Amino acid sequence: MKRLHIPTWLERQRYLLDFTLSSLGRRKGKNLALTALYAMVVFGLASVLMYTQALRGEAMRILEGAPDVVVQRMVAGRHDLIPADRVERLSRIRGVQEARGRLWGYYYDASAKANLTFLVPEKFWGKAGEVVIGEGVARTRLAAPGEPFPVLASDGSVVILKVRETVPSPSELVSTDLVLLSEPDFRRLFGVPPDLYTDIALTVPNEKEVPMVAAKIRGQMPDSRPITRAEIARTYEAILDWRSGLVVLVLAAALLSFGIVAWDKASGLSADERREIGILKAIGWDTSEVLAVKAWEGAVISLSAFLVGLLLAYVHVFVTSAPLLTPVLKGWSTLYPSFRLTPTLNPFLVSTLFLLTVVPYTVATVVPAWRAATTDPDAVMRS
Amino acid sequence: MNLSRVAGAGVALLLLGAVAVAQEPGKRPSPKDKCPVCGMFVSKYPDWTATVAFQDGGLAWFDGAKDLFKFLADPGRFVPGRKATDVRAVTVTDYYGVTRVDAKEAFFVAGSDVFGPMGKELVPFGKKTEAEEFLRDHHGKKILRFGDVNRTVLEGLE
Repeated sequence: MKRLHIPTWLERQRYLLDFTLSSLGRRKGKNLALTALYAMVVFGLASVLMYTQALRGEAMRILEGAPDVVVQRMVAGRHDLIPADRVERLSRIRGVQEARGRLWGYYYDASAKANLTFLVPEKFWGKAGEVVIGEGVARTRLAAPGEPFPVLASDGSVVILKVRETVPSPSELVSTDLVLLSEPDFRRLFGVPPDLYTDIALTVPNEKEVPMVAAKIRGQMPDSRPITRAEIARTYEAILDWRSGLVVLVLAAALLSFGIVAWDKASGLSADERREIGILKAIGWDTSEVLAVKAWEGAVISLSAFLVGLLLAYVHVFVTSAPLLTPVLKGWSTLYPSFRLTPTLNPFLVSTLFLLTVVPYTVATVVPAWRAATTDPDAVMRS
Repeated sequence: MNLSRVAGAGVALLLLGAVAVAQEPGKRPSPKDKCPVCGMFVSKYPDWTATVAFQDGGLAWFDGAKDLFKFLADPGRFVPGRKATDVRAVTVTDYYGVTRVDAKEAFFVAGSDVFGPMGKELVPFGKKTEAEEFLRDHHGKKILRFGDVNRTVLEGLE
């Protein structure tokens, strides 16, 4: 005689999952539509969250290298060139370790139809007449090391500089549109007199002293504006939060309508499903087994929708650079002209999304099934 | 036994000791170094770090001048077996420069509006002019030297 095989817990779950899948297959159209809708909602939410998070990461990475305080001179509310003698005055302020005049600016390149950032680095390693250019500049201007790099000077003459090299790669993020050149070349190109700088960068070793330094600068030079790194960070944060909030608000409507659909589908069992539960009970299924099937059903739909949505969002944000969100979230001209996102997947973000989408849905499918499964099978089938 | 070799080894040890002293001000606390007085991790507060170097080469880290002085008042209470006579060198972190300076030469401002990880602090400075300007800027009460810090001063910081 053949011995009766009693399935282990794992095998049982496998059989139940098998049953669930075939049961889902019976209502293929409806379940597929639901999963697709569900995945779309996850996709939208995940895209916004991932995108803003990636932008925030980039912004913070830029800020790490930013000076502690930048001092600008304001004339009638507009940023103006700052006299060079203030470098000395600023470096005498207690708490300031070093003050350095900086020269930088934007140049509209008509041939490439792009805005380039011209910058005199702290120590320019090339000779006068040479430039070091970013990858993006090299691409759009088709300039390679050793080739001429003509620039239209502010007096209308064309100055021909020579490309020394392209910027070494790790800093691609901000360096794409960068043109590094020597101080005399910068002053000649833009007509900046030798006793003026664009702004002055300060090194303040003790972070706690920065507000006091800023207050002293305002007191000693009333026409200047000290910008601290904390202020820049706050600006980035505010802009990003405001914009992502806007998009989430729009998405909230979609989320809500999906919630209603999902709740309706998951919680209100159709007559068919109630009968199914009744029959299962009548042929000897346990309440726990019915619940397991229903839980599997919810998990299968929500988990696959979650994974599909997440994967699509990842591709959308990091592979295709978020074409659907860029117009809303990336009005970057005021901050930085070009951004390339570094792919990151934050476990906190993923688990938040998971808890917000998969868990409620699975619970919503189990509760009504439990109610149906605990009533008498006869009553369930008759109702 | 070769006496000159022993003497040579002794000189080498002394030299090693001298090198250790020279490198101390630049040394950074590891993430595991704790202040023996309050028990907090020191590496989180690089702008407050203070050290005590012992005759035997040992080093204790503190997260502020206040805890440093508490320790110096009674070393054995916080690190069993340590005595005040074991102390070889003491450093504190200069407020403006965030560099470590000799505590015995430093100026300390009490009663300012700048707080350290352990609340009210004696803010250290390498130069007197710096301490005076800080006192004006941050509403300090008075400037103290290393020898001026006694029990009464420390109690006033609680």
